[in-house]
Amino acid sequence: MAFAELSQVFVNALLLTGILALVAVGFSLVWGIMNIVNLAHGAFIVLGAYLTYALHEWMGVDPFLTIPLSMAALFLLGYGIQRLLINQIIRAPLLATFLLTFGLEILLVNLLNFFFKADLRSVTTPYSGSGFSIGPARVPYIRLAALLISLFLVLALGAFLRRTRTGRAIRATGMDIDAARLTGVKVAKIYAVTFAIGAAMAGAAGSLLSLSVPFDPTAGSSYTQRAFVVCVLGGLGNVVNVIIGATIFAFVEVFVGSRLPSLAQAITFALLVLLLIWRPQGIAGKSV
Amino acid sequence: MRPRILRALGLALGLAALLLLPRFVSSYKLLTYTRLLLLAVMAQGWNFLGGYTGYASFGNVAYFGMGAYTTGLLMIGRWHVPFFPALLSGAILSAAFAALLGLPILRLKGHYFAIATLGVAEALRQVADTWDSVTAGSTGIDLPLKTEGEFFYYTALGLVVLGIGLTFALARSKVGFAWVAIREDQDAARMVGIATTRYKVLAYALSAAFAALAGGVTAYQNIHVAPGDFFRIDYTLESIIAVVIGGPGTVLGPLLGAGIYQLLSTYVWSHFLELHPTVLGTLIIFFVVFLPRGLVPLFRAARSLRQSGERFRWRSLFANVRAHRVT
Repeated sequence: MAFAELSQVFVNALLLTGILALVAVGFSLVWGIMNIVNLAHGAFIVLGAYLTYALHEWMGVDPFLTIPLSMAALFLLGYGIQRLLINQIIRAPLLATFLLTFGLEILLVNLLNFFFKADLRSVTTPYSGSGFSIGPARVPYIRLAALLISLFLVLALGAFLRRTRTGRAIRATGMDIDAARLTGVKVAKIYAVTFAIGAAMAGAAGSLLSLSVPFDPTAGSSYTQRAFVVCVLGGLGNVVNVIIGATIFAFVEVFVGSRLPSLAQAITFALLVLLLIWRPQGIAGKSV
Repeated sequence: MRPRILRALGLALGLAALLLLPRFVSSYKLLTYTRLLLLAVMAQGWNFLGGYTGYASFGNVAYFGMGAYTTGLLMIGRWHVPFFPALLSGAILSAAFAALLGLPILRLKGHYFAIATLGVAEALRQVADTWDSVTAGSTGIDLPLKTEGEFFYYTALGLVVLGIGLTFALARSKVGFAWVAIREDQDAARMVGIATTRYKVLAYALSAAFAALAGGVTAYQNIHVAPGDFFRIDYTLESIIAVVIGGPGTVLGPLLGAGIYQLLSTYVWSHFLELHPTVLGTLIIFFVVFLPRGLVPLFRAARSLRQSGERFRWRSLFANVRAHRVT
């Protein structure tokens, strides 16, 4: 591999890391705190992308300004889903919540398909093509901005969970639900807030992704799978783990993708299965 | 003794009706019923693992596709293997592959296993798409032509009966009890000396074999096998839905669920084409929230209610929610 290509692969992987971390952080939070593997996570991401698309295309709002809006919208949606649906059966065996979010995914994807049609969409702005070069590698402004915004949001979530009252209540509920209840935490509400934050992060990721990757209603499931792989690589329980997992995954994906694009997913999953056999708790994580 | 005779009589009547069905319906309708039975076969496969051991596989379509390709390639290859041996080879190959793969991934906890299976299905699709020299890539392969609808119907029916018989026998054997023990509490099962991984691998291999049988028959019926048509996640989805509707971990649940799903699906297709998946999604959510054990246990409960002479209470529909919600 020539130096020019190698440095481009390196830069691409670095740029991908941020957005992957943002894609995975909400998924990781929901999984870590409530033991829910949210298969609708990718659908939330695509929903965020479509919100940005709609606001940009129909009202001319700058895509970056739509991020808070899609976060707010998905926060509300996530809160409602957890409160009305998932909270009702959350103590059932794992398969139940799994299937429930699976049903939600099918439903959301189909509704998106119904309203926006199955065409491939992308958000294009006047500054879409521009960027700068570091040596032989090219850095588009949009993806650099996505990297910075993603890292900001992920670290902000980490700070929120550590420093605020609600954040501490969320972590306490994740550690021991009964003890949290005894100290006065309203568990049902905290669960809803947790799921809502996860959805909001997915919404932000979707808004950012819409700028650099074309999407259609079914694009979400591949992000759910990536979020899962990132969580497995990094382990649960901390936003730093998510960033570690995202870094490893981004480098593997970009490197494999530049060599064998048609088998990228097959190889990535083969690696995942091998990793799971070797270390079921993830590379950086403690045992689950 | 009495109910057992009645039940056997009912089963015999049902079977007779299914045997005579091709005489009374059009060949187009027969296609729908064949599809229903093949879905039941795949659902029966999913039920061994998902229903009895509680491990949800989201990638059974991998074996559906593998069975389809193996059957097709053997039939058109140098030896021109006849259909049934080719079908059987597909099932054996898929079961062997599943056993090899299951040995490591079934040691994982539920979610890890579920996503790993999803990845395996996707990976196999890419392999079928890329391995031009064997699978002819995305163009796919063509099988010998066979147009007798009845042949496929009876083959599918035979497989369903095989599935019912096998599920019935296994559920009442040591294997079935081991499976249920794993589902209820894996650590406890291991503690009392059940070789959990071995039993899970057996369930997974069986589930792969049944998916491969359904895939092989579908391949011969469709004449053409291509990655895009045979590695569609919809096949996995439909079999999960069928089991969830009918009743996971029951003998007749998969067939019942497949029947209800297929008839409903045909109806929805012809009336609200575009919202078809929305109906499916809503159905899954409804069953998971209100009837997580499916319809078979509901019928049982209704019968015991009738015998005891009590009235049906709507409150009972919320029993699952009451037991599992968080406040």
